[in-house]
Amino acid sequence: MIRLRQALREAWMLLIVGAALGFIYTSATEKGLFARGAPETSAQGLGPDARQMISRDEAWSIYQTGSALFVDSRHDFDFRAGHIKGALNAPLGVYELAKSPLKDVAKDRLLVVYCDGAECNSSIELAVRLMKDGFKNVRISFGGWREWVDANHPTEKTP
Amino acid sequence: MKSLLSHPHVVLITRIFLGLLFVVSSLDKIVDPAAFAHSVGNYKLLPSWLPLTIATILPWLELLCGFSLLFGLFIRGSSLIVSAMLIVFTFAVISGILRGLDIACGCFTQDPAAGKIGWMKVLQNSALIALSLFLYYSNSTRFTLLSYIQRSSLVGDPDR
Repeated sequence: MIRLRQALREAWMLLIVGAALGFIYTSATEKGLFARGAPETSAQGLGPDARQMISRDEAWSIYQTGSALFVDSRHDFDFRAGHIKGALNAPLGVYELAKSPLKDVAKDRLLVVYCDGAECNSSIELAVRLMKDGFKNVRISFGGWREWVDANHPTEKTP
Repeated sequence: MKSLLSHPHVVLITRIFLGLLFVVSSLDKIVDPAAFAHSVGNYKLLPSWLPLTIATILPWLELLCGFSLLFGLFIRGSSLIVSAMLIVFTFAVISGILRGLDIACGCFTQDPAAGKIGWMKVLQNSALIALSLFLYYSNSTRFTLLSYIQRSSLVGDPDR
């Protein structure tokens, strides 16, 4: 009991000092909570515009026009096991524009990025990276691979 | 077990290991709180305003606790905090795995390529929880700053 009381007292002290240091540091360096302006530094704002998120049907109608390039942000083994027909693979974990199949793609080409489905983040993160690398027309297929398969839209495997 | 809890070298090695681990893993988060907040947000367990607040405080708490274990000052308090943090992290990882989240851990580094959450992570964290609870219950005060302070104050006090 004495041990716990002592521990709690020390823990409180550490917590208060830690919080103080955190607030002082982030406010002095204008990071995190105190970041100015740039919306991408806030946790939820880190990401694309809501208008860039497209539904399965929108993705399908874009697909049918043939104007867009579909980009798969999943691991290469997932990609090889099955992907949207004609899609390129740019796994987020190893993404670098110079080494990715997107390096020769025109920056104003319409890209539709997808990953597994609504529960994955890599499509959103890849879309942010692509926009930073200068791509101007990036969309994210929110339902991703799972909805595409459920709807029986064209897929292919890489042997 | 009792002798292990008071074994000065075992306790010292555990302190150095956990302390260094927490100091090192806090640095990446301190430098880029926004990236850490993003990792926390990915778990989708918290209301949207909370990850950034956590990213402001938690890395510094990790750093303080790490140093405190290394130097041997407030070991009880810091091992209590470290245990509590690790338990919360582990539950977050488990819930992420069970919900099928495909996210980076955000544990030791903010590099998304460093690894996804998985059962291996849970195992690792459980081992770390065991170590920090061990420190909480340990009672060796050798090689701690506290013992040096106490010793030098004893020497300096002629009445004792």
